[in-house]
Amino acid sequence: MAAENKPLPIIEVINLKKKYGSIHALKGISFSIGKGEIVGFLGPNGAGKSTTLRILSGLIPADSGEAKVCGVDLAEEEGQVRNHIGYLAENNPLPEDLRVIEFLKFRALLKGLEGSRLRERIKVVLEICDLERRISERKIGNLSKGYRQRVGIADSLLAEPRLVILDEPTIGLDPRQSAITRKMMERLRGEVSFLLSSHILSEVEACCDRMIILSHGQIVAEGTLHDLQKRFVNKTIFEIVATSKKIDIQKEVRKLDTSCELLQDDPVEVSGKRRFTFSTDQGEEIAEKIVKHLLHQCDLRISEFQISRPDLETIFLRATKKNWDEKDFLIRKKYKK
Amino acid sequence: MKSYLVILKYELFALFISPATYVATFYFLSLLALGFRFFIESFSYTDWILPPLSSLVVGLLFGSPALIPFITMRSFAEERRLGTLETFLSAPVSSALLVTGKWTACFVFFMFISILSFLFPVLLYILFPEQGFNLGFSKIEHWLGSGIFLTVFGASFTAIGVFSSSVTKNQMVAGMLTFTLLTIHISVMSFSFGNGTPSSDDSKFDNFINGSLGSLTNGLDKLQHFSVGLIDLSTILNQIALVVFFLVLATVQIERLNS
Repeated sequence: MAAENKPLPIIEVINLKKKYGSIHALKGISFSIGKGEIVGFLGPNGAGKSTTLRILSGLIPADSGEAKVCGVDLAEEEGQVRNHIGYLAENNPLPEDLRVIEFLKFRALLKGLEGSRLRERIKVVLEICDLERRISERKIGNLSKGYRQRVGIADSLLAEPRLVILDEPTIGLDPRQSAITRKMMERLRGEVSFLLSSHILSEVEACCDRMIILSHGQIVAEGTLHDLQKRFVNKTIFEIVATSKKIDIQKEVRKLDTSCELLQDDPVEVSGKRRFTFSTDQGEEIAEKIVKHLLHQCDLRISEFQISRPDLETIFLRATKKNWDEKDFLIRKKYKK
Repeated sequence: MKSYLVILKYELFALFISPATYVATFYFLSLLALGFRFFIESFSYTDWILPPLSSLVVGLLFGSPALIPFITMRSFAEERRLGTLETFLSAPVSSALLVTGKWTACFVFFMFISILSFLFPVLLYILFPEQGFNLGFSKIEHWLGSGIFLTVFGASFTAIGVFSSSVTKNQMVAGMLTFTLLTIHISVMSFSFGNGTPSSDDSKFDNFINGSLGSLTNGLDKLQHFSVGLIDLSTILNQIALVVFFLVLATVQIERLNS
C-alpha cells in the first residue's frame, strides 16, 4: 500500500547507453529523481554528465535503455518532454542582438505561453532571477556573464516546468552570482525538481539534497553527502603538528592503536614543525585518546591537533579514483599488446 | 502552427535588424534600377522578344547568387557558431519546423525585395502612363506570370541558401556555398537555353533527361511562357520539389548535428 502511495519519480533512468563513434559516453547508467529534489551531477570532464542531461532534455536520443522524464517515455515521445522541463545548456548560448525582455517574450511564445499568462510569467521569472527592469531592457550581448547566466535560468523557468535541468549553471560566476543562483534554487525547493551538473563541489555540497557521481560513463557513487561520507571515508583522519621526529610520533601512536597509519608527513613552512596525517579505522574516540596521550609526552612538543571530516572533494576523488585506475590499467594493457 | 509563426516573426525581425541585409538590399536594388533604366531606354533598339517586364525578372534571377547569400547565410551558420541552436531546440520545437520557419522568413524577405524592384515599372507607369502602356506594363498577365515565376524560383533559391547555411558554422563559407550552387544552377539553365522544348529529332534519352530535370535545366525557356502569362504547372512542381528536397536535407543535417 505504501508503495502505491509513493509519488512517481520525476526522472527514471534504467541502463541508459550512448556511444559517439567508438567512444562509450554512457555505459548503462540507472538512477531516479523524486519530485522536488535537488540533485547534483558530478564528474570529471568527459564523464558523460552533459550527454546524460542532453538525453534527458530530449535534445539527443540514447542508443539503448529506458528513460522517463515527467512521465514521458523518451524512446517514444522524445520531443514531448520539452513541454515539461526547463533546460539551461552548457555555456548558456544566447542570441546577442536581442534585448533580455524580447528574448524572454520570444521563448515564452515558443513554449506556448500567451496573453496575460505570458506577461505574468515573464514578470515572475525576472523577479526570481533578480533581473531588474534596467537589465531587462539591455541587449544580451552587452550583459556580463553573471547576468547572461541569470537570463538563461529565467528562460528555463518560464513555462513553470516540473523539472529544471541546469548544465554547469555556475561556471565562470563570481561567488556573489553563484549565491544568487543557489538562492533561486532554494526559493523553488519542493515545487520544482532540479538536476544540475557542476565541477564546483562546494556548490553542489551547499545546495543539493543528493549527488550522483559519474566517471567514464558509469555511476560510481550516489546518495546524500552523509551516505557518501560513510561509504567512501570509513576511516578517521587526524592531523598532528609537532616539532619531533616522525619515528617518535609513530611509535607513541602505535602504542594505543596498532592499525593507525601515517598518511602524510609535511614540513610546516619554515617553523621547523612537521604536519603528520594519520588515519585510523577505530573512530574519533581513539583519535582523541591518542592526542591526549601525545600531549602528556613533553618531548614530542605537540602544537596542533585536528580531526578532519571528509568534504565532497575527498569523496569525489575517492569515488572516481577506482574508475581512473581501471581505465589506466586497460590503456597500459592495450599499449603492451 | 503557432510555433511556426513565432519562429517566422523572430527570423524576420532578425533579418530586418541585420545591417548586412540592408547593405545588400540597397546595392542590389540600386544596380537593378540602373540596369532596368538602361534596358528600357534602349529597348526599341534591342532584339528582345519578351515583354520588357521580363528583363526585371532576368535581372533578379541572375542577381540572385549575389543577393540570396546575404539573406540566408546567417540563418543556421550563426546559430551554430553561437551555439544558440541547442537553446532553440530545448523549446518544444522540431528541427523540421525550425528549418521551415527560417526558410519562410528568408523567402518572405526575398519577395519583399522583389516587390520593391517591381515598384520601378509601377513608378514608370504612374509617371509616364503612355510609355508605360506602350511597354506593356498595363497587361495584368505579364505581371502575374513574372510574379509567379519569381516566386517559385525565389523559393527554391532560398531553400538552397538555407541548406548551405546548415552545413557550416562559418557565415562566409555558407555564403560562398550558396553563391556556387546558385551559379551552377543558373549556368546550367543558361547553357541549356533553347534546348528545353522537346522535338522529334531528340533521342529518347534526351527527352527523358529533359523531362526528369524539367525547370532545373530549362527554367529560362519557361520564362518565355511565364512572361506572357502562360503558367507552366510542371515548372512550379519542379521548383516545389527542389524546395522540399533542400529543406529535407537541411532538416536531416540539423538532426544529425544533434545526435
